[in-house]
Amino acid sequence: MRAVRLFCAGAELEAAQLRSNFWFVALTALAAVSFLVMVSLFGLTGAYAPVALINLDGGPYSQSFIEALNGAHHSFALKYMSAEEAETALHSGRLVGIITIPAGFSADVARGITVPIDVRIDNVNVDMTNDVQRALPAAIVAFGKRHNFPGVRVEMVEHDVLPHDTGYIPYLVVSALALDAMVIAGILGAMTTAREWENKTVKMLRLSPASSGVVLAGKLGVAALVAATALGFALLAIIFVYGVVPVAPWATVFTLAACVAIFTCIGAWVGALLKRTLAAVPLLFGLAMPFYVDSGALEPTRFDGEAIWIIAHLSPVYYAVGVLEWAFHGLHVTPEPIYVNLLVLAAIAIVTAALTLGRLSKGEAR
Amino acid sequence: MLLNKPLNGRSLPNAVSSECGLAVDVRHVTCNFGGVRALDGVSLQVVQGTVMGIVGPNGAGKTTLIDVICGLVHPSEGSVRVLGEDVGANSVALRARLGVLPQETALYDEVTARQNLRFAAALYGVPHADARVDEVLELVGLSARARDVVRGFSGGMQRRVAIARALLHDPSLLILDEPTLGVDVEARHQIWAHIRSLRAGGRTVVLTTNYLDEAEALCDRVAILRAGKLVAEDTPTDLAARTGRCLELECPPPNTANLRAALDGHSGVLRAEAADFGLRVYIAADTAPEDIVRAARKVCRVDSFRNRSPDLVEVFRSLTGEPALP
Repeated sequence: MRAVRLFCAGAELEAAQLRSNFWFVALTALAAVSFLVMVSLFGLTGAYAPVALINLDGGPYSQSFIEALNGAHHSFALKYMSAEEAETALHSGRLVGIITIPAGFSADVARGITVPIDVRIDNVNVDMTNDVQRALPAAIVAFGKRHNFPGVRVEMVEHDVLPHDTGYIPYLVVSALALDAMVIAGILGAMTTAREWENKTVKMLRLSPASSGVVLAGKLGVAALVAATALGFALLAIIFVYGVVPVAPWATVFTLAACVAIFTCIGAWVGALLKRTLAAVPLLFGLAMPFYVDSGALEPTRFDGEAIWIIAHLSPVYYAVGVLEWAFHGLHVTPEPIYVNLLVLAAIAIVTAALTLGRLSKGEAR
Repeated sequence: MLLNKPLNGRSLPNAVSSECGLAVDVRHVTCNFGGVRALDGVSLQVVQGTVMGIVGPNGAGKTTLIDVICGLVHPSEGSVRVLGEDVGANSVALRARLGVLPQETALYDEVTARQNLRFAAALYGVPHADARVDEVLELVGLSARARDVVRGFSGGMQRRVAIARALLHDPSLLILDEPTLGVDVEARHQIWAHIRSLRAGGRTVVLTTNYLDEAEALCDRVAILRAGKLVAEDTPTDLAARTGRCLELECPPPNTANLRAALDGHSGVLRAEAADFGLRVYIAADTAPEDIVRAARKVCRVDSFRNRSPDLVEVFRSLTGEPALP
């Protein structure tokens, strides 16, 4: 009964403190949405690069070639433009490149004459150049196959491992939930403990006959609740704004709850070690991105080499992304079975909670 | 008086069960932090129902000694018993009987005074917490500001909230680390009044202070620390007696140096120092002031003289050889 009262007292105090720091908490929680926007922008970048298509021919072969170009793998958003408009747009930085189908293209093709397709590219980075170098030959081959031009003897027959394709942005936003948990729960957890040193109240906690662990549990419980609420908004945004609905809702909820618990506790440790909110917040932000990127958020980590894949196992985000991609899209992005990822997350949550409440509750006598 | 009123049927905490009547018993305590010796063989006993003042300049070891008594710092050597219990055992029961005002005040400054006290009441398991919070707020004169956020309080008001928190659970031993640090004169005298009321209620109080007038005004006994060592420990009156009597000789300033040189050699003179009026001379308790005045008049004209007891500032200077504390 006394433990319950202490827990509630800690929770009540933390709630009052968070209310008095409303804007800090609100802006931290806003990170949940801003990370979704960030990964969406990342997904958009380069995926819809505007490329002008100038068709000076207008004949049937040029139309067929444009269809082949549209069907080829690339990240272009083709726009029909005049030569003058395209040139102006390219020099003002609003176009990645210009593809020009020359006048007489259809007639020359019909006569069996090889026609050069002029491509001007803003090679601001090699990725854009590579994309053109992949897309145009693929379109030319597809065009040749369609019209049974001699000399093309090979074609691709695709067999997908998964029954459905998953868009890059839907893939990314799901993993952003783990990033949200890391940053928001981490910062709120760090703030909870660091404030005890900033206010010097840690001394009073040590002097009191109460169990600091129970008080801390109450305070961290409120911090975790606020983080979970922010994460809930991000989850709703993914479902209703991005239209990505989890196929395994309970696994989603469990994973997010485990992430909140883990990162609230890790944040509490960081806050206790640094003893200052101002130092803890940038550190947690700084750690979040490398752990996030290394977790399989951008693509399964196993594609990135053994070393990166092994390092990723040190981060709870790896297991969280593994479960979340399965829970939302049915994808298996880690070699480990889903139940293993779930068990690891649960184990990390239990261990971090036990270590945090056990160790931080002990007085540090000099 | 509120402090003497039994609370919710509980008895007052003055009946400490220590066999020898000591609330605090510090024996040969040494504390080393890295290469720094913060306390060096300090022994100190505080009798129940008394107010003990620990004075000394910054860095003398006052707060370390307080932390040792509270159990926040484990001494490298020596033993500490508080209210009859070994502090090293870190007993929950002992912590429940201590009320501490740390030097830093240590309040949650984002929340109200009442929220601070309610939280402290939960930590100490105070029954009927709301009523008790009202009582202590009234005691420190902050009932009207109970719902205000502590961040907006003056230093003196924050100290009073912290004192209210220390009193909340009716502690047997109250430990106040620099209770008037950084507060204005009015708040200082209000805090003094609270401490006097605690003493009147028979409570044991250990306080540290940089202000000798504060120690003189409040304490039954005073311990003087310097560089981690206990220089002296006695009643303010007996400490003054150790310094001898103070004789102020009014004489023309050009004669002061000659007079001082002459009196320094007198067997009854402990120490002499120049003052704006002439010379201040500390004389042994068994020396007649008239003898010194006669000796002085042989050297130069003495317009007047005044014989008085030294104050604690003078005692401190005499015992430590340091300039007076602020």
